[in-house]
Amino acid sequence: MRGLRKAFGSKVAVGGIDLDIPHGCFFGLVGPNGAGKTTTLGMVTGLLRPDAGLVLIDGVEVWRDPVTAKRRIGVLPEDLRLFDRLTGAELLTYNGLLRGMAAGVVEARARELLDVLGLADAAGTLVVDYSHGMRKKIALAAALLHAPRVLFLDEPFEAIDPVSARTIRGLLERYTAGGATVVFSSHVMELVERLCDRVGIMHLGRLIAEGPTDQVRAGRSLEDAFVDLVGASHAGAEELGWLGTWSA
Amino acid sequence: MAGHLVGLRLALLRNGLRRSSWPQQVGLALGALAGLPLAFGGFLLLALVPRAEPRAGLLLVEAVFLLLFLGWGLFPLLSFAGDASLDPSRLALLPLRPRELVTGLSLAACVGVAPLCTLVALGGAVVGFGSLGPGLLLVVAAVLVQFALCIVGSRALLTALSRQLRSRRARDLVIVLVSVVALGFNLALQVGARLAERLERSDLEALRPAVRVLGWLPPGLAARALVDGGEGRLLAATAELAGAALAVLALGWWWWRSLERVLTTAEPPARSRARQPAGLFPRPLRRLLPADQRGAVAAKELRYLARHPRLRVAWVISCLLGLALVVFLAVSDGIRHPWMVLASLTMAFLAAQNSLNQYGFDGAAYWTQVVAGADPRGDLVGRNLASMVTGVLTTAVLAVALAAVTGGWLYVPVALCLGAGVLALSLGVADVVSVRFAYPLPDDATNLWAVQGTGQGCLVGVVQLLAFAVQGVLVLPLAAVVVAGLAAWTPALVLVCPLAIAYGVFLWRVGLGLGASWLTGHQPELLAALSPRRPA
Repeated sequence: MRGLRKAFGSKVAVGGIDLDIPHGCFFGLVGPNGAGKTTTLGMVTGLLRPDAGLVLIDGVEVWRDPVTAKRRIGVLPEDLRLFDRLTGAELLTYNGLLRGMAAGVVEARARELLDVLGLADAAGTLVVDYSHGMRKKIALAAALLHAPRVLFLDEPFEAIDPVSARTIRGLLERYTAGGATVVFSSHVMELVERLCDRVGIMHLGRLIAEGPTDQVRAGRSLEDAFVDLVGASHAGAEELGWLGTWSA
Repeated sequence: MAGHLVGLRLALLRNGLRRSSWPQQVGLALGALAGLPLAFGGFLLLALVPRAEPRAGLLLVEAVFLLLFLGWGLFPLLSFAGDASLDPSRLALLPLRPRELVTGLSLAACVGVAPLCTLVALGGAVVGFGSLGPGLLLVVAAVLVQFALCIVGSRALLTALSRQLRSRRARDLVIVLVSVVALGFNLALQVGARLAERLERSDLEALRPAVRVLGWLPPGLAARALVDGGEGRLLAATAELAGAALAVLALGWWWWRSLERVLTTAEPPARSRARQPAGLFPRPLRRLLPADQRGAVAAKELRYLARHPRLRVAWVISCLLGLALVVFLAVSDGIRHPWMVLASLTMAFLAAQNSLNQYGFDGAAYWTQVVAGADPRGDLVGRNLASMVTGVLTTAVLAVALAAVTGGWLYVPVALCLGAGVLALSLGVADVVSVRFAYPLPDDATNLWAVQGTGQGCLVGVVQLLAFAVQGVLVLPLAAVVVAGLAAWTPALVLVCPLAIAYGVFLWRVGLGLGASWLTGHQPELLAALSPRRPA
């Protein structure tokens, strides 16, 4: 992406980002709340029109040829608004047919994905009755259904239990090993450090550090590197002194 | 503690009013004003009728007391999800004992428009039956016991069912019930008024067994105590009052036990009925809908129609309107012409009105469509297909019902062809309006009439009114041809059938083309219009 920029009124959410993500890379995008990660991912995936800038995915310009670009990507957004009056299985069928896949292929892949993600028993349950973690998993299944070359995941491990998180991690690692690219945003630094080859740190709408994970953390833990780069607030240490005095 | 809970109830009432927009505040004020005639009507009924018609006195009081008791049981259940003060589990984290809670919540329940109206109405019974003397004390006590029955009974039932009421399934059901009950109440009022006009004195005698049975229910005991107290039978009145008071105590005990259970036991995990995965396409339409994007969108729309409470209500209401038309024709002799079957076209027209904001229920979930790179034309065709299926189906059912009443079976195919034409041209207009003036509908199961605070309500209203007008103008040529056919030579209406379909399909394709070509370059803009919050 080159010169990617987006403002909402007078508030600049993303103030010009240049970033290259190589093929087959596991890329982590981290940053504090309000740093502009979700807005960036929205612009890259064709959900939010940028004010300026260029996005190329696998050689296809997203905002000039959105249909071709979208065939190559899968997306799991942070705001999990789904067609939740459909059952899990129906939602996957719906997504597959929207993407022009053959009904038989959709059915076979949906069954496998539901099995792998531990949703087989809930395949016939309405998504509105799913827990938050189950919603994440069904949305991830929908993003993977058409085997995209690039996967964009916004906070994929939030509210996911450890067993499911391990399953998803394994699935994503296998997926990148096959040459696909995964771009994901997260607040969990340990996870980003463990999974990602490359990492980008966003702050106040700008990319303040980017490169191979080892290079960005420079001998420290990624969390320390992140806190140093973003700047931590120490306020509150003295004010809440009463917290140590117990009520009756 | 009781003071705090009464204060909380008052604060919730006040803040609920403050948070509402001015149209909602006007609505609330009108609602409160609607309560006043009911309260004063009840007051006058109980105050005047017993003196004018002493034999009807007991039956009247028993019926009013029972209705009040049932109303207090039913209506809080319907407003449970929308009224934070009704859910006892919201107080579960506070260190409160059930005794404090029962006292406080009882007093808090006495605050509001409904308790005030109930007390005003019950006050009529004191005027109607009370006479100076020791009996007056019993009459007042009977009214207070009846009020306590309403309050305690209502809260006991509510607390006992609170866990079930918090489930998504119950909330969905409540939305449908509220609208059906509101319509049913309206109908019952009209039918009741007609029946009351015909009620003869001899009918009262026939109702005597019912009076006897009702008299043994707790509200009936309070009613009998009131009448006996007013007529000076003090011993009987005291015994009946004691019976009713015992019922209040029993209900209070039930409430206490339910509160203890709700506050001290863990919430059971939500159980949701897992369906057998049956596929996206509804079974009867599996062979009819194409197995592609258009079919998928149509199937999704039909699934939503069956499962989303708001859509279900819209569907039920339009069906009831059609039913009202049939009933109206069935009971009125003068206008029962065979060509009245063509009145079923109103159903096609009404069905299309639900399509003026076809993306509204998608809301922010429309990202699924955008990110899939779905073809906007196929998307619109799918939505139109679903509207067509439901619209033609309801029109057909109404046409058949009207034909059964009027005998105009020959008009059924004409009505169907005309209906399809009207529906198609209306959908053409709806396709343009849906993409250019989309607004999100809240996925809020607590309030059927909730609107999204998009700040464009007025514009949306004007646009929809204009769309309605345009649809009306486009229908005019068809209407003119039909009227001419009816006036000149009725068999000529057969010629109108292909004409109506061709005309409708032509206009639909024009609207579809305009809508789809705009949407092709503006899916992110439509998504932004449908997302209540902008990403930060």
